[in-house]
Amino acid sequence: MATLTVPEAPTRSTPAQAPVDPRHRAFTVLCVVVLVVLAALWLVPMLWAVDTSIRPESEITASPATWWTSHPSLDAYRQVLSAGRMPVWYLNSFLVALLTAVFAVVVCSMAGFAVARVRFRGRRIVTGLVLAGLLIPPQTLIMPQFQEFAGLHLLNTYWALILPSVPTSVAVFVFASFFSGLPGELAESARIDGAGWFRVYSRIFLPLCKPAASAVFIFTFVWSWNNFLWPLLTMTSADVMTIPVGLNVVQDSYGIRYAQVMASAVLGALPLFAVFLVFQRRIVEGIANTGIK
Amino acid sequence: MTESYPKGTSRRAALGALGLAGVGALTAGCGSPIAAGIAGTGPDATSLTYWNLFTGGDGINMVAMTDRFRARHHNVHVDAVTLAWGTPYYTKLALAVIGDRPPDVAITHLSRLPTLAEGNLVEPLRPADLTAHGLTGDRFTAAAWRKGQVGGAQYAVPLDTHPFVMFYRTDVCAKAGLLDGSGKLKPIEGTDGLVAALSACAKVTGGYGGVVNVNADPATCWRWFDTLYGQLGGQVLADNGTRIVLDEAKAEKALSFARELTVQRKLMPSNIDGSGVTQLFASGKVGLLFDGEWQIPTYQGAKTPFSVAPVPNLFGGTYHCFADSHALILPRNGRRDARRRDASLTLVRGLLDNSLIWAKGGHIPAFREIQDSATFRRMEPQSQYVPAAKAAIYDPAGWYSGAGSDFENIMGFAVSAVEAGQLHPAAAIAQLRRKLADYASRPAPVGGTNS
Amino acid sequence: MTATVAAPAGALPGVKDEPRAAGVIGQTRAGWGLLTPFLVLYLAFLIGPAVYGLLMSFFDGSSVRPGLGPFAGLDNYTEALTSADFWSSMWHTVLFTILTTPPLVIVALLLAMLTDRIRRGKWFFRLVFFAPYVMPVTCVGLVFTWMYVPQTGLFATWLGALGLPAPAWLADPNWAMIAIALMTVWWTIGFNFVLYLAGLQDIPRELYEASAVDGAGPGAQWWRITVPLLSRTTVLVTMLQIIASLKVFDQIYLLTAGGPNYSTRPVIEYIYDVGFTDFRTGYGAAASMLYFVVILAVSAVWFAISRRRA
Repeated sequence: MATLTVPEAPTRSTPAQAPVDPRHRAFTVLCVVVLVVLAALWLVPMLWAVDTSIRPESEITASPATWWTSHPSLDAYRQVLSAGRMPVWYLNSFLVALLTAVFAVVVCSMAGFAVARVRFRGRRIVTGLVLAGLLIPPQTLIMPQFQEFAGLHLLNTYWALILPSVPTSVAVFVFASFFSGLPGELAESARIDGAGWFRVYSRIFLPLCKPAASAVFIFTFVWSWNNFLWPLLTMTSADVMTIPVGLNVVQDSYGIRYAQVMASAVLGALPLFAVFLVFQRRIVEGIANTGIK
Repeated sequence: MTESYPKGTSRRAALGALGLAGVGALTAGCGSPIAAGIAGTGPDATSLTYWNLFTGGDGINMVAMTDRFRARHHNVHVDAVTLAWGTPYYTKLALAVIGDRPPDVAITHLSRLPTLAEGNLVEPLRPADLTAHGLTGDRFTAAAWRKGQVGGAQYAVPLDTHPFVMFYRTDVCAKAGLLDGSGKLKPIEGTDGLVAALSACAKVTGGYGGVVNVNADPATCWRWFDTLYGQLGGQVLADNGTRIVLDEAKAEKALSFARELTVQRKLMPSNIDGSGVTQLFASGKVGLLFDGEWQIPTYQGAKTPFSVAPVPNLFGGTYHCFADSHALILPRNGRRDARRRDASLTLVRGLLDNSLIWAKGGHIPAFREIQDSATFRRMEPQSQYVPAAKAAIYDPAGWYSGAGSDFENIMGFAVSAVEAGQLHPAAAIAQLRRKLADYASRPAPVGGTNS
Repeated sequence: MTATVAAPAGALPGVKDEPRAAGVIGQTRAGWGLLTPFLVLYLAFLIGPAVYGLLMSFFDGSSVRPGLGPFAGLDNYTEALTSADFWSSMWHTVLFTILTTPPLVIVALLLAMLTDRIRRGKWFFRLVFFAPYVMPVTCVGLVFTWMYVPQTGLFATWLGALGLPAPAWLADPNWAMIAIALMTVWWTIGFNFVLYLAGLQDIPRELYEASAVDGAGPGAQWWRITVPLLSRTTVLVTMLQIIASLKVFDQIYLLTAGGPNYSTRPVIEYIYDVGFTDFRTGYGAAASMLYFVVILAVSAVWFAISRRRA
């Protein structure tokens, strides 16, 4: 497993013990300068959004591209949260992402366990079938999936968002590779004690797969929260929209008020920033692992 | 994993607790969205969803009208949703009907109605219901009421007629010597007359004489072209959109004139978007503006000294200018019972009764009681262009035509490219002809089940 | 999830030796039992629709009429393959991929190497470059639309201050795709950046020490050690990026809706337009299938490369 955090002590590229070559020092300074400049560039859009959101609307209209404000206020946030539908969309996004992530962990870990640890007839076919899922971009399925959910009368319900997002092949393979890395004796001894396969899975393997489960959970949650095209098609009622769709579809009757637009953009991103700050290490590791393996 | 996270657990626990508390608070507050999300239940019978596509001045007026209705009908709860104008609105409307959760009442452009009706997306209104709510043809602008019918049945109740008009700044035009003794714009005749007027304005402003939106707004580009080309007597589609009858000579003449004003004479900007247009006209950097009358509140709000006149007759033929109507429809909904239908029509009638507010947005009310009222007749500059509404000719029929449609996009994008100097008129005509042919040659994907 | 195609090579482990005594039949029942929830959902909502989509593409269906519609044979395919609009939307998708992939690979590598080099505050830079990746696309779109406002927007003001003429970004057909690409680089670079950071951890530091003894400067070390040793990561990042970029829809729909003059409409928006806005589900399904073939071809190349390397 690749780890991204290394002891900071002796740096690798410029050995501290070597006599300081002025050329290297210049190079190091250059690196830091370039990095700081790039980081500043990357920060601009986020800071600009926050800055605009705390300026009064009249100031924004008068001088749109100014950073300075003499009257910073949180009015725009208050407006968005009290007058708009943002709280309902928060709730929808949260419930959909949560349910999708929970179901994905349960359903895909069972499948991953079966594929990795159970030697059953037809295992190769199943594996091939799951592998095929990696190749189908969900975007190519919007037409038939829409017809299907219309036929099931599940459009405009959470289920239209949850059900197709639960069975993901990647998640199955993440679990499968994790389970197959665990020692074989675990299952063996339990089986000899007479435990059924489901018991072996639920009592022994599931509790051990926390790293895989949390990676799948976080990624499914973030992906579900940010999903756009499919919810845009299926969630047409303002009451059941998720944040990305609601912010795009429902307009302000009073016209564009940039402070509020930026405030809602900030609010829409905020929960995931929180998730990211708390689970930074897991997310980074998750990407590194799914990518490298 | 070398890095340890000693505080991780407690922080996570705290966050979890916070999240749970948040969900608890939210679920307590809004039980119905969750029920809708999980079980697909709709709102109860006294709660109406009303979709419109109005923002800005129109949006504010519509909110006021809805609020007045609410004040008078406490037993009906109206949930008004504003959606983005144009193609996305109609796509959403269709998806909502197919997805079993359409709004109870919705705004449509009348130019869009035939496609909605043929697609079985909107309910025909029964004469008995209409009469019960006082919604009969004799009480509306005739052209608009007729346009609300498809195949002999009434599908829509018109709210207004909104033509494409010419705004003029009274201060700039006065200096340019374009006003008569009473401060009204002297008649402008023919293309030469318009060029002269624009040149006179340009001299006053030291820059441009007039402006029309060019960038990223195909609908406005189409309206401008339709006004010019229509005055030449040109038509684009025939036989319900299955045949292209574009007159290339006339189209080229219209496009060349539009191009002459921007690219050759530089009397109007060739690269400008909606906010730029507003800024130019509001700040007096142009004298004339070609736009929909719905922009009136924008400039009233900006305290711009201006008035409005019909677009001049530029080519000497039968007068024509682009126009469309907003109308109210009941999207198809299997779950709509008599009570809900009655409540929906009560809302429709309520909005019409308050449409004097709507007229403030520049629109000519379709409801005659309002249109003929003394208050409306005194309303300036609205009363200046009422005849334009009565002569309204809508976008050509066709399943891909109407407000915010592929048709308007195809036409508008080509016109925009000509005005911006990116395409020559002949090339633009070839482009739009090719794109229209794609649609005209196909069997319509709507219709056939509506008998 | 950009990484949806990431895992295949070697991800499927061989079954460890379970006691044979457990019985093949019991295992078969248990295996299928554990798989049932997944397979039901998978077949119902992924494989099923894929097959149904193929079927739809041979009919002239409409979203406002029930059923498949009249049989159309290969008409939908002929129409798509001869449609200038289909091909131009295909090209816009490819153009977007060409514009975004090099910066998203090269700048990500540069950011990772720079971040890896500094001693203090790594976490800060990791945060700054990765944070945009978790933002919902709508929020990113709102912020960039605001910055791209012509004349008075932030970018226009900056360029004006430098004495440069600012383009009408999203309204100019020559600039709209570039503006979209710029936003995409800002938004999604964090993913590749993190992959590169992980790759950098795997380079043995002795290599640097040895080359330092030989008198190699840091620039030479980057060029001769870091970049070549990261080639495995680079192939991975490049392939993932190409596949992700070929799926573009969201940010284009939000920023330009495919305009101006259709100059940025990607193939997925074309499918959306014909299938949902124009009600032509059969034709939309056929266009989807053609697009699927392209993705499949690119994925096949990726499989071939990763198998050979595994």
